[in-house]
Amino acid sequence: MARSGATFVTFPWRRFPTGVCFRATCVLAALTVFSSSSAQAADPVDPYPFEAARAQVIRTALARIGPSIVMIETVGGEQPLAEAGRGGPRAAAFRVGEGPTTGLVVSSDGLILTSSFNFVRSPTIIMVTLADDRRFVARLLGRDYIRRLALLKIDASGLPAPTWVEDGELRIGQYAITCGRGLGGSTASVSLGIISALNRRNGNAVQTDAKVSPVNYGGPLIDIEGRVIGVLVPMAGAGDELAGAQWYDSGIGFAIYKHKIDFVFDRLVAGEAIEQGKIGVILEPDEPSEIPLLEKLLPTTRGVRIKAVAENSPASRAELRKGDKILALDGQPTGDLPEILRQLSDRAAGEEITLSIKRRWRRFDVTLRLETASEIGKAVEKE
Amino acid sequence: MFLARLIVTCCGLLAIGAPGPRPSAAPNTVGRALQRSGGAVVKLYGGRIGREHGYGTGFLVSPDGGIVTSLSLLVAGRNIRAVLDDGRELDARVVRTDEYRQLALLKVDAKDLPHLELMSSETIRIGDTVIALGNWFKIAEGREPVSVIRGILSLRTNLDARRLSQGFDYRGPVLIYDAITSNPGSSGGPLLDVEGRCIGMVGRIVESANTNTRLNYALPSEEIMAFLSEEATANIDERAGPTSASSEQEQGGAQPYVGIKISRLGYHNVSAYVQRVRPGSPAAEAGIQADDLIISINGRRIHDAADYKDLLESLSPGQSARFVLKRGPKVITLDVQIGAQ
Repeated sequence: MARSGATFVTFPWRRFPTGVCFRATCVLAALTVFSSSSAQAADPVDPYPFEAARAQVIRTALARIGPSIVMIETVGGEQPLAEAGRGGPRAAAFRVGEGPTTGLVVSSDGLILTSSFNFVRSPTIIMVTLADDRRFVARLLGRDYIRRLALLKIDASGLPAPTWVEDGELRIGQYAITCGRGLGGSTASVSLGIISALNRRNGNAVQTDAKVSPVNYGGPLIDIEGRVIGVLVPMAGAGDELAGAQWYDSGIGFAIYKHKIDFVFDRLVAGEAIEQGKIGVILEPDEPSEIPLLEKLLPTTRGVRIKAVAENSPASRAELRKGDKILALDGQPTGDLPEILRQLSDRAAGEEITLSIKRRWRRFDVTLRLETASEIGKAVEKE
Repeated sequence: MFLARLIVTCCGLLAIGAPGPRPSAAPNTVGRALQRSGGAVVKLYGGRIGREHGYGTGFLVSPDGGIVTSLSLLVAGRNIRAVLDDGRELDARVVRTDEYRQLALLKVDAKDLPHLELMSSETIRIGDTVIALGNWFKIAEGREPVSVIRGILSLRTNLDARRLSQGFDYRGPVLIYDAITSNPGSSGGPLLDVEGRCIGMVGRIVESANTNTRLNYALPSEEIMAFLSEEATANIDERAGPTSASSEQEQGGAQPYVGIKISRLGYHNVSAYVQRVRPGSPAAEAGIQADDLIISINGRRIHDAADYKDLLESLSPGQSARFVLKRGPKVITLDVQIGAQ
């Protein structure tokens, strides 16, 4: 009986491009259908070699990524409170544990990517323990509150940076493994699942059914060859910096894509805090009943309407007015209210956007630079 | 991935296409493990006490009716009923309990029962398939067999957990896996390997102190074997007595001495900064200085002065303790010879 480690099935067809492989599977499957009526089809397949091979593949992948996974410990800081002094349903539903948490080496000279979730306590001291047990005091560089990422720096060199999967190679249904150091122990913990969906959370994240939780936020989602698919973050819901943690171990977990990390990487290195950008307006859905008959007959006027403009905001400086309709964002039709809010959800303060506006019979584009809610002030908070 | 797809596709089609009397010839490791071991799993029922669930899982470890289960309050109830895999419903009595490991040995009066032999948990490695069986949510009614879930072994670590906001004493080794068993009724069920051999017992519902999330874990078979082989000393009436940790302390005469004063600010327990080191003390000899921040001692994380005090009490004079300290931007490790006072 083949036990773990006794036999290891190599995968020669993994050298072929994916398409060939898939076609080969289909052909084999088709052949099986045609040959199944013949006598040779009776023997059941012995499942043990498969189980053993799969376990061996997981261990090999873990051995490859392991040196790049670090343990992060923090000192100081308090439990975050959603509504200080108030109980009830609005109070924080999730308590942060005492750590440690997980990070991923992303450059040999000491840059370590992790999740901003791991720093909601605003710790005074951050320490990083490498896979080879060397310990360093780390500096927190930048945080991305949209993608829930954070970047650390330690004074080390020659660190093992991992190999990344090209985003285009990913396929729904392929095996995916989550890794984390949040439970202590001498190695990373692993959870096996598949890729459940691509381009979730406004295209920022890949979705997996492997277990994702504070055990591995900041750690990697890897493929069976030990290559990084993305960095694990709590990415469900919006707003609260603990949002999404309630979904832990639910079978719905997220990892941020490489190209989305690259998109903000320089800003994180520069120590920026990347927060959601606001226009400075209150939006309302278009009510077709209020539109004059002639306009109702014309297509392509659907959009959302500006209900109010905050003073001293990007919108007021661009001279947007109450009643203006927003037809498109960066050339993409905005559709209804939830759709434009979704499109805006991962645009950071400081980034520029172009809005296509319809004001009565006039159409024009305005470009504005997004600001944080606190920069704009009260009017937007009501939004 | 492709191997999986290939095998699943081929076998699925074979099973459908093949004529004859074997419609389910598809490979099914879980099914085979169940055939070998499922008969030894019992559903347990008792009285509900407060928030405690009055039901759970156990498994037979001897042909004459010895049942291992977790030490839930259902075990304290008077009328414990065990429903065997063959549907028989028998009264069970408590033979012995282990407060620290949260284990209980029950006994039903019957003969020639199917039972599990405990295998060393060292036989499985990270990534290997594990299978857990249990009476989750009382879903299995009447004579129905218990529920089955599969996952892989995720991590071996030592438990550091809370239960219902209280501390959880057991800090020994556990097996962490990526299947959800932190649900009512699952504790006490066996954890099987791919061949149906028992390598552990599903533990009680606890939250990890590290992550504050529920843990899915099993007590390794070694701990169960140790419990079963211990002398039958404790009985059910002695369970409320002092825990093993505090009784050890009472036996020790001399108090451990390090010679550090931890800074305290007002009412708050702040991080464990060294305020003062007594000259000539074990701490001074090891090289600990004022303003050092204690990170961990012997691998246990020290969050504040209270943690330091607790840990100090667990040390014994003459022992060497490894202190990890932060001094300025550096992390240093010092071994301290614990003294006596």
